[in-house]
Formats: sequence, structure tokens, C-alpha cells
Amino acid sequence: MDHIFFLGTLMCVWVMVCLAANFVIGYTGMMAMGQAVYLGVGAYASATLNIYLGVNYFAAMALAAVVTGAVAVLTLLPLLRLSGFYFALATLGLNFVFFDLFHNLGPRVEGSEGLYGLELPAALGSPHAQIVTGLLITIACVLAANRLVGGAFGRALRATRDRPDALIALGKNPVHYQIVIWGVSGALTGLAGALYAATLFYIDPTLFTLNASILVLVYVGVGGLASNAGSVLGAVLLIAFTESFRYLGLPSVLAGPIQQGLYGALLVGLMLFRRQGLVGNHDFQE
Amino acid sequence: MMSALQVLAIGFGLAGYYALVAVGFALIFATLRIFHIAHGTVFLMAGYVFFFLYRVGGLDVVSSGVLSVIVAALTGLAIDKAVYLPVMRRGGGLFSVFIASLGVALIFEAVFLVFTKGIVTVARTTALGIVSVGPVAFRLLDIFILGVVIVVYGLLYLWLHCTRRGLEVRGLTDNRALAAVVGMNVDQTRNVIFLLASALAGIAGVLTAYDTGLAPDTGSRTLFIAVVAVILGGVQNILLGSIVGSVSLGILTAYAGFFFPEWVTFSVFAMMIILILIRPRGLFG
Repeated sequence: MDHIFFLGTLMCVWVMVCLAANFVIGYTGMMAMGQAVYLGVGAYASATLNIYLGVNYFAAMALAAVVTGAVAVLTLLPLLRLSGFYFALATLGLNFVFFDLFHNLGPRVEGSEGLYGLELPAALGSPHAQIVTGLLITIACVLAANRLVGGAFGRALRATRDRPDALIALGKNPVHYQIVIWGVSGALTGLAGALYAATLFYIDPTLFTLNASILVLVYVGVGGLASNAGSVLGAVLLIAFTESFRYLGLPSVLAGPIQQGLYGALLVGLMLFRRQGLVGNHDFQE
Repeated sequence: MMSALQVLAIGFGLAGYYALVAVGFALIFATLRIFHIAHGTVFLMAGYVFFFLYRVGGLDVVSSGVLSVIVAALTGLAIDKAVYLPVMRRGGGLFSVFIASLGVALIFEAVFLVFTKGIVTVARTTALGIVSVGPVAFRLLDIFILGVVIVVYGLLYLWLHCTRRGLEVRGLTDNRALAAVVGMNVDQTRNVIFLLASALAGIAGVLTAYDTGLAPDTGSRTLFIAVVAVILGGVQNILLGSIVGSVSLGILTAYAGFFFPEWVTFSVFAMMIILILIRPRGLFG
């Protein structure tokens, strides 16, 4: 049963990451291919604050979100000059840059590749407490996300994606919206990273590679672009589906490759047959 | 004690591999606007087929090599026919094809992972010959690879500039719509480009399988460096861009690998991001 709770909390983490990724990819049309970077920054920031500075974990989560939002904006600013495809490539390159940064500069517990030993409060201390807390945070995030994209700000985001010239004609700066939403997306991903670290108890740089960014792309792509419901559906359905393999009695050496092959096939299938995903309101541009 | 010159020699050896993969990638990207991530898969395919024929099947080096390169060429063409062409027919653009390509690469990598269990497979069973010039030792294989690169680039130059098909390829690089309007057979040229580019990746794959061996992620790693080389050199100038980019990255990775082995990937991709920022079109774009 604990394993089910653990999976549920993992789903919460990826739902939050997908919401954040969909803000930029789906609603604003910025091809972000480095979401794992911000997930890693959030996880490392909260774990470091908690382990080395003794900060209460909930405070550490909030701080991690702020730090990650700031890192996200800092990494975005130089890339804003790039358009379309080159922007996607540069964000893809960020995965490799940050992997080496985490690996070489990230704190680690002596004798291991990563970081463990979090001091968790009771509300995150056990699998069943974690899923309750995780669900509460995720529901709050979904509600906030719906408010964010439903109102005037959401319309401005979609205009940034579809008709930036119209936005300029109204005296508004599309770049302003791009920076704000990128920061929001980074902060939400950082919060998810903090929850991720609490769920796993152990983090190391291999969790935050290009593979994780591709995973986000698959979840969001399957669920649907520019749709919060799509973000939730994509992550929940795909994690449930691939984890069910475990119960089919497949040897564990095969489980990894089968999941990878399946995600590859899903990407190809999506691009061939349904570029807007399950419940998306937009498809991959160009 | 390794001297700086020795590291330079190693860098040129690496550059040979990058140059063979990069030029095919550049050829496809510049003419067809396809960001062919699965080019690394083609490279890997050739390497594994070579390993199978040479080590397991006991065929001689030359015929296993030639057969593997043919398989690679057909694999590349098949990927285009089965995935890219249909995606483009359904209105998918640059980014959709890129994601589909990523999907293809993931599928093949998973298949290779199942068969190899991630273990590195090396095709050769003997040590490589070395010639020493003063303090610097050259591997005979590296010299052979550089010879291959020179021949390949020379032939490509002649092909691009002295044949009708080459003229069409250059026409595609400049203006696709116009090329189709003036009556060139875009589909046929497309097939030739995929066969040729994939064969070149195949040569690199065979040589890598023989030299340092392959793991399922070798393909994507080599490809990413080749991509950076192409972006560095400039996509529009296929030959000059690829060779200059590959040589610079070969030297960079050799020195970084020697002096700061922890920071090799960082240096490659940080360089790519900085270069995209300074000159999005590359050095010779």
C-alpha cells in the first residue's frame, strides 16, 4: 500500500511539473526543453537548505520555489534573443550544462553521488502523510493555474504566442509576459522539485537529465498543449500505465527499455496522428 | 607524460568521427530542414551490425564494414519514409519532425538496450598500431580516419559543385520552393540525401565500433557533439561549417577531457549556447 501512496505522490510531482511546462510550451508557445534543470534546482535548493542550514522543510520548499524562479529568469534573459528553434536548442543544451553543474558543484553526502538525510516534518514524514500533503499542494496548484490562465493574464499569454504584434498594438510588451510566465513556471517546477526530494529521500544529478525533460515533453504532449486538464491527465495516465508494468511480472531489466521505447513510440504517434494531444487546445507550432 | 601536442593529436582523431557524423546531419538539416536526432541511431545501427557480422559472424573486416554501411544508409532512408515524410505530409513543421525524430531515437535506443544490456561492445580484438613522431604518438587508425575524412569531404565537394544532383542539393539549401518550381525532382534528391548522409554516419559508426566500442547511448552522445559542431560552423555552409566545427570541438573535447574531465559536456554545451547567442547563424552561416 505504501508503494501506491509513493506513486501517488510522484504523480503529484509530475503533475506540477507538467502544469509549469504547459504554461510556457502550450500557453505561451516558448519551446522549453529543459524543465528538468529547474526541477533539479528546486530539489537541490530545498535539500541543501534543510540538511545544511536546518531550515524547516516547508519553509525550504517555499524558498526553493523562489530560488528556482529566480534561476529560471536568469537563464531565460540571455536566451530571449533567440527565436523558435534556436531557443529550443539552447534550452536543450541547458540540460547538459546543469547536469555538470549539479554533478561537480552540487553538495553531496560523503561517499555517495547524491544528497540524503532530510529532516522532514510529520506532514511529509511517511508515505500516507506525504500523499495527503502532496495532493493538497497539487490541488492548490491546479486551482491557481486555472485562475492564472483563465483571466486577462492568460489571454495575454495566448496573444504572446499567437499574435504578439496585436499585443504590441495594445501597448503591451510580449517579452514582459514571457519573462513573468517563465519565472512562474520555474517557481512551480522548483516547488515540485522540493516535493520530489522529500518523496525520494535521496537525490542525485542523474535524476535531472535530458531524459527527465523529455519525459515532461511526453506527458504534456500526450495530455495536450495549452490545457491544465491535459497536464494532469498526461502525467497521471502515463505514470499509472508504465507503473502497471511492474505488476505484470516483467523482469526489471526489461521494464526500463520498454518504458523508453513506449515513450518514443508515443512521441512518433502523437506527431503523426494527434499533435494537440488528448485534450489540448493547441498543437506544436511549425 | 602527455604533452600538449599529444592532446592535440588526440583531438584531431576525435574530430574525424565528429566530421563524418556532422556533415551528414548538416546536409539533411540545411536542405530539408529536418533536425535529424535519429542520425545518431543510424550511426549506432551500423556499429552494431558491424560488430555482429565481424565478431559474431566471422566475416572479414572490409565486407562487414561495407554491408554495415549499406544497412545504415537504408535505415536512414526508412526512417525518413516511415516517419518524417508522413509527419510533414500531415502539416507537421520543423518542431513536430524534431519531436518525432526524438521518438525514433528513443525507440531504437531501447531496442539496443534490451539486446546489449548497456554493456560496451568492442569489435576489434587486437591492439591498434602506433607511429611515433618525436614526442607525439599517432594511432594508425586515427590517420586512417583522417584519410577517410579528406576523401569524403573531397568527393562531397566535387559532387556538390560538379554534378547536376549536387547543384540541386545546393539549390535546396538556398531556396526550396524555387528549386521545386524550376522543375527539380525534390523527392528523388531527398532520397539521395538521406542515403548518402546515413552512409557517412554508418562509416563513423563502423569505425567507432572497431575502435572504442559502442554503448546504446554512444549514438546520441556523438550526435549531440556533431550537432554542436554544425551549429558552430554554420548550417548553410555544409562542408566548411562541418569540418571547422568538428575540428574545433575535437580539440576542445580532447583538451577539456585531459585537463578538466568533469567538465567536458559542460564546456561543449556552454560553448554552443554562447555561440548561438553571439552568432546564431554560426561562424560561416
